[in-house]
This record gives sequence, C-alpha cells and structure tokens, in this order.
Amino acid sequence: MAMTATSTVEKVRQKFPQAIVETVEYRDEQTIVLKPEELVKVCSYLQKDLQYNFLSSVTAVDWPERIPRFDVVYHLLSIPNQCVLRLKVRVGQRREEHPAVPTVVGVWPSANWYEREVYDLFGITFTGHPDLRRILMPMDWTTYPLRKDYPLTGFDLPEPHWGGQVPYDTDPGVGNQTLRSPGGRELNESRSHISQNQEPGTKKR
Amino acid sequence: MQQQDIENIYTIEDSQPGEDGQRNDTMTINMGPQHPSTHGVLRLILTIEGETVVKSVPDIGFLHTGIEKTAEAKSYHQALVLTDRMDYLAPLCNNLGYSLAVEKLLGIEDEINDKIKYARVLLAELQRIASHLVWLGTHAIDLGAMSVFLYCFREREMILDVFEYISGVRMMTSYICPGGLQAELPPGFDAKVREFTSIFPDRLQEYHDLLTNNQLWLERTKNVGFLSVEDAIAYGATGPVLRGSGVVWDIRKAFPYSGYEKFDFDIPVGTNGDVYDRYLVRMLEMEQSLNIVNQALEGMPTGAYRVNDPKIAPPPKWQITGSMEALIHHFKLFTEGYRPPKGDVFVRTESPKGELGFYIVSDGSANPYRMHVRGASFANLQVLPRMIEGSFLSDVVAAIGSIDIVLGEVDR
Repeated sequence: MAMTATSTVEKVRQKFPQAIVETVEYRDEQTIVLKPEELVKVCSYLQKDLQYNFLSSVTAVDWPERIPRFDVVYHLLSIPNQCVLRLKVRVGQRREEHPAVPTVVGVWPSANWYEREVYDLFGITFTGHPDLRRILMPMDWTTYPLRKDYPLTGFDLPEPHWGGQVPYDTDPGVGNQTLRSPGGRELNESRSHISQNQEPGTKKR
Repeated sequence: MQQQDIENIYTIEDSQPGEDGQRNDTMTINMGPQHPSTHGVLRLILTIEGETVVKSVPDIGFLHTGIEKTAEAKSYHQALVLTDRMDYLAPLCNNLGYSLAVEKLLGIEDEINDKIKYARVLLAELQRIASHLVWLGTHAIDLGAMSVFLYCFREREMILDVFEYISGVRMMTSYICPGGLQAELPPGFDAKVREFTSIFPDRLQEYHDLLTNNQLWLERTKNVGFLSVEDAIAYGATGPVLRGSGVVWDIRKAFPYSGYEKFDFDIPVGTNGDVYDRYLVRMLEMEQSLNIVNQALEGMPTGAYRVNDPKIAPPPKWQITGSMEALIHHFKLFTEGYRPPKGDVFVRTESPKGELGFYIVSDGSANPYRMHVRGASFANLQVLPRMIEGSFLSDVVAAIGSIDIVLGEVDR
C-alpha cells in the first residue's frame, strides 16, 4: 500500500505513542507535534523506514504569549512515495533566552543551513549542530530579528558596536574636522552646518 | 558571537615549511561578494592548493532584506509585492506560489476557474523561459561565450514586453494575486505571445548550435561540478540541479497545482550530474515550457479573471459608483484586507530554480502572522561545496553558473 501522510501519522502513533503531543489536520495537511527529546528518534525512523528522504525546510514561529514560546517546524517530503508531512516541536520556557532543540543534521544533512537560519533569526540553538553560526545577519549581530518583540523599524538599535543611533554628521573617516580643497574651499560644508541635535532631513531650528 | 571566534573563522593561515622542508602551500582566497561570476553578492572563502580547491565556505546574507519580517506588518495583498523581489528573475512564479498558499489558507481553491489557472500556467511558463534565458546568457558569458548572452537577452526582452503589455511593468508585475489575476488579459495578448512562440524554436536551435556540441563548451562543462544523486537529495537540491543528477522529480507532476495535470509535458533528466547535464536539462525544459505555453494558449477558456467573492477580490469599478455594498467592500478590502481563518499551510511549487515553498501562518488577523519562504536557491547553494571541493578553481565559476542562484532568493 502506498504510503500517505495519514498512514504515516498512524504508523508514528503506533510506534512512538509517548513522543506525540498532538496531531493536527488542516487543509489536508498532516502535522505531528512531537516532544523535543524524541525528535531525532522519530526523524530517523521517518527517514530510514518510511522513506522521508528529503527535508524541504526548517523554520520557526514565535508566539510570545504562549508557553512554550516557539514552534520549530519541519517540512518533510518523500520522493519515492510522493507524500509530505509536517513536524512541529514546541520549545522555549519562560525567560529562556536560547531554547534548545536537538539537531537533525545527522538525519538530513540539508538541515545544516536551515537550522543555522533559524538560529540566526530566532535565537533557537540546535544541540549537536556541527557549525552553528549566523548565516544571513552580520557575524557580530547580537539580537534575533524574526522574534515578535524585535522592532520592525526604529532608531535606537541595540547593537553595542554601533552605539545606538548612527551619528549622521560625522563620517568615520573624517570625524569632525573640516576638509578643504587646495583653494581653501570647505568641502564638507553642508555637514558642518547641521547641529548635533538636529534630525537628519529637517530644517534647522 | 565573540570577536575572537570571528577571527578564527576568517584567519588566513600562512603556510609553514613542514618536517620535510616542503611548504604546505594552501592559500585562502576570497571570491566575491563583488566578483562578476558569483551572480550577485555571494562570497566564497576558498582554500586552494595550487589550482585545486580544498575547501569552500559560502558566505551569504549580503542581500538580506528581511522580507519575512516585513511581510508580518503587511496585509496579505500587500505582502504579494514583496514576493516579486525575492527571485527577481522569476517574479510571476513567486506570485503564483504565494497566491496558491493564501488561497489554500482562505479555502477558495475550488473557486479559481480554469481561465485563471490557464493564464497563470501560461505566464509562469513564459517566466520560466525568461529565467532560463538569463541563466543561459550569464552562464555562457562566465565561460567565455559572449554572443550567447546578447542573443538570450534579446529573446528575454520579448517575454518582458508581453509582461509589460499585460500589466504595465516589465519585471515586478505582481500580476498573479490571491483570488485570480490583477486585471483582465488585454486584447491582442494572444498575438503577442504567438509572436514569441513562433520564433522561439528557431532561436533555441541557435543556442544549441552555438553551445551543445561546441568543443570549448564541452571541455568547460563535461565532468565538472559533479553531484551524485545521494548528495543532491541529502543536501536538499531541487529543480534542474536535482534532475541533472538523474532524479525524475518535478512538483508540477508530483503534486500538480494550478491545473498542471491537464497539460502534457515531459520532465527532462540528466545522467551524470555534471554541469553539462544541468545545462541540457534547462535547455530541454525551455522546450517543454514552450510546449505548455502553446497548449495553454490553444485551450484558454473564457471566464472571469478573479473570483466572484467581494470579500477577497475587489468589485468592478463600475459597481462602486452605483452600489453601496460594492463601495463598502472596496473600502474594507483596501483599508484592511481579508482575514483568513487560523491555521498554517505550506505550498510547494516548481519555480525555475527548484522547489519554492511558502509557509504561511495565520492567527486570524489581516496580516500574515508568519511567512516563511523555502527558497530553492538557498537550498541549492548548500550543495555547492560538494560540487567544487577537489576540482579546479576555474571550474568553480562553471559550478556556480550551473546552480543558477539568485541571491535575492538566497538571502530574502
């Protein structure tokens, strides 16, 4: 009998009854919510025995009011059986800065970059990951942009090496000095007319 | 991450003489982010020994624009515009994936009529040809064939003219939207597409004449950038990269969407998994896409260009002046948008680069609570080190070109 998502859910339920938190069906898509500590065991079973040989994506969803706070979402695909499945793991206790999920790189090597992306944008760590570094944001970034409490826009950036707002009227290479052409003309004239307290793009008060 | 860790990653180790007095001559070089054949802002940190690449570490994120974060602050219809900017060589395919995901979330898949489906397929396949033409042109110019680049862009311009004709915009059309199309296909659209489809087979033959049996091309691409079936699947490669390795896998056949099951087309696959096979797969795909375009043009049914549901698609303009209901619907749609029920969907489509997935979570409000994009280029780039480690430095350029990455989709 050909494997389908529904029969997969049944098989996982029989094999790992203790690992399942709940199963959800929505718009014909099957989701299994798993306990984090059982994740790798179930994934290995799905990959080896049920031929879910392809990991499409790993991502996360932030629910700040909920405990556990994060959903880590895995989208699996079985190329031989042409069926798809979604796994979810819920992590993040109250005031836990870096929730941890076991890595699935050992099961699907493609998880390497996907998990780095989740770590980069959500701050969820993957224990056992061989190369857990930031991937999209700069190396020295300190916060996690896709969390819901991260501002969409704003001036007061929390990056310590920027020191908050970027000073607009000083150029790192020039500082406050006045540059002059050989003829004596002031080159950064426009800049020196802006006062320290003035917002960029506004008229002088 | 601490400063020391950053330095450890990017430290260039000077080679010291070993016990036998020979220097271990590995050198770390930077390729990109402004190298012309990295197709955008990809940076590769290559460790080379002589001409051989020992190790390669891709460094991405230079084009990270936070599209997923921005989408959370937009309504569902506004977020459509962001999807154009991801894979900017195939915006209509992104629109299609996003629209299908939102329609699935809304539960209005059955209301999409055949006319909309056929038009979507037609446009997506034209876009696939356009995307492959840019790939072919840039891939060829990377490997030294300048004239192919000029020819490819000449044909691509014809496709962009069609898009401009239907939507007024050449590239970022947002023409396919949740609920149907943005506007009716204008009269004379058929003729414009036929103008292209009538000349394209000859032009495709021209590219074959220029490259397929060209000795220089064969030497640059045959047995280069090899990727095995196991690696391709394990590292998440999709699209022509996966098919070039010999896996018959196409989302359009496996999980037909937007009426692809009604079209007759083949899935070209390679045998060796080298750069030449990926080249051939894409060349043959263009042929198949042209075939689909012709079928869609012949079989295009008549019908409305968007769903007849005023909660999702705005009412026609002429109704607004006469009907209070229509005016309210129009106002509500453009100030607030529609509210899909709570839930989450993941929709896969076959974009020119590979499997493009949209994961959209709704919390019942008018903005997507979370939109995750499974970019095909992102996953395909991950296999690059497997392709180039152990090969010559000059083959790196061939391998990058054969993956057909778009950094807008890698970084999002």
